[in-house]
Amino acid sequence: MAFPKLKCNVLVAMFLLLAFSLTSKPVQSQEELAQKAQAQEELAKQEKDKELKIIALAPHIVEMLFEIGAGQSIIGTSEHSDYPEEAKAIPRVGNYARLNIEHILALQPDVIIAWRSGTPSDDLERLKQFGLNVVYSQPQHLLDVSKEIRELGELTGNQAIAEQKALKFEAQLANIKHTYQEKRPVSVFYEIWAKPLTTVARNAWPQQQLALCQASNPFIDLATDYPQVNLEQVFIANPQVIIQPHSSDKTNPDAINWQNYQQIDGAKHRQILHPNADKLHRMSFRLVDELEKLCQDLDNSRRFYQQMSDIQN
Amino acid sequence: MSRLTNQAALPLLLALVAFSIISASGFGITELDHQQVWQCMVGECSKSIYQTILFEVRLPRVLLGFLAGFGLAIAGVLMQNVTRNPLADPYLFGIVSGAGLGATLATLLPESVQFISMPIAAFIGALAAVSLVLMVVMNNNWRQVSHLLLAGVAVSFLLSSMTSFILYMGDAFSANRVIFWLMGSLTRADDKTLLVIAPVIIVSLLTSLVLARQLDALLLSDESASTLGVNVPRLRVIILIICAASTAVIVSFCGGIGFVGLMIPHIARTLFGITTARLLIASGLLGGCFLVWVDVAARTILTGQEIPIGVITSAMGSVFFLALMRKM
Repeated sequence: MAFPKLKCNVLVAMFLLLAFSLTSKPVQSQEELAQKAQAQEELAKQEKDKELKIIALAPHIVEMLFEIGAGQSIIGTSEHSDYPEEAKAIPRVGNYARLNIEHILALQPDVIIAWRSGTPSDDLERLKQFGLNVVYSQPQHLLDVSKEIRELGELTGNQAIAEQKALKFEAQLANIKHTYQEKRPVSVFYEIWAKPLTTVARNAWPQQQLALCQASNPFIDLATDYPQVNLEQVFIANPQVIIQPHSSDKTNPDAINWQNYQQIDGAKHRQILHPNADKLHRMSFRLVDELEKLCQDLDNSRRFYQQMSDIQN
Repeated sequence: MSRLTNQAALPLLLALVAFSIISASGFGITELDHQQVWQCMVGECSKSIYQTILFEVRLPRVLLGFLAGFGLAIAGVLMQNVTRNPLADPYLFGIVSGAGLGATLATLLPESVQFISMPIAAFIGALAAVSLVLMVVMNNNWRQVSHLLLAGVAVSFLLSSMTSFILYMGDAFSANRVIFWLMGSLTRADDKTLLVIAPVIIVSLLTSLVLARQLDALLLSDESASTLGVNVPRLRVIILIICAASTAVIVSFCGGIGFVGLMIPHIARTLFGITTARLLIASGLLGGCFLVWVDVAARTILTGQEIPIGVITSAMGSVFFLALMRKM
């Protein structure tokens, strides 16, 4: 008989369902508990991060903090802190010439991270007098970026991610060095500014990058890091490549149109490069990718001249 | 414009001073507005940090603005009266260029001592500029006021070129610091700054008030003043030293705040007459109020950043100067 069997089956099914629901309830609540604990842990970490209130007074510091996952701790920054996108929403508390002391005091930060060269020292001294904790960032060499990423990791409690990022940065730099160190130098002119014509020398930030790409700078030994030079000197130096960095959001109307000077090899053979100045000149994580690209472009130019000389021979 | 009488002028000016200082204290970060300031004044601030901001940052700054404006305006009156030249101002001796050179040299010192050494170096530079100008004209005929003006311009150019050269050869970032410092700012205001500036300005004011009648005589001509028994060369040296000292102190703490010393005495002269004693007090009070309000504008027009105060005074001053030239 089908009917009583069905009835029996339904009864068994109901019993099983009841048993399952009774036994499964504690299991589910254990999972919930674990999830809850995890959520609480995350919340506690977020709150801890939120608790640390940082004022980061330079775009590169803001970039590095976001990179190591401490971006939400920044409660104030200086002008031009435009990367990543979230950084644009952080309140501005000054620029490289002047800080708004009242505003900074009212925000009551736990720590102020300042760029020593690009922040007014007298204002920082005043803030120290009010008992605020000022920490300095002063990257002089390319490897200082990874050193400072680690320091920021220590400061914000994000050591693990900072270490990971620092190692990646160092590996990329080492790779660039390894790839190009044996290559034949290619001569370049680096136009940092057009009027007055200004280039890089000695220990300037872009000069260190040129050295890694095995690019030779005829003006390296001039007296200052960012010397002004005469166009005549560039003619005589006759660089094979001209590097004219551009800011991503705007072009410089004053930039020299090198195509007008066909006497220079770089212009004649259209070996003019426009790397992204925002990435290359900012002492943060992003520079290494742009540097890789610049070195590759320079290597292409190197090959171009090599092929040309092979054909001529 | 009709001139105000003595009875009306002083109370009016004092009321303006009181209103300016109290009202200006309410401008700054939006949280600490007039209502909060009032609460802090009559009782307890709602947050302890407001206490610090109001009494250690904002009020010293308002007072420094008043003192600097006062000092520059009376120096302007003295310079204009002593040279009988409406275009004379306290920066005539190349004081700003001298202070700029001092500040630039200070940037070559280690970072850790720059906070202390910049005002001191600027003061030494300012005094050096004044001494150079005075040395040039001292041996010359004092009555040739144009020599003083020309020597000031020449010294100014000389020192500026030295500053530019040092900045060019030096660290790229020190140039920014010095250039922005030269544009003027009152952010350095604290109790110590006020304690240095206030005595210098008070001594300058009192000394010039004592010499006010002799200065009135000098307004006629050097010969008339001599006939009335005034020792003209001595009076001129004393006044020039007073102006130089007070301007140098102000410039070394506040940077180059241009045109206050030129513009305010002319406004005061139109309103309160040319008598030196009246003019000194009126110009001083008016100059003080002017700078207090200019600083309010400097710190509130752009959110999150300040406009250097010298930019605003120079912009307003230049327009005034052009208007003055049309009348001359």
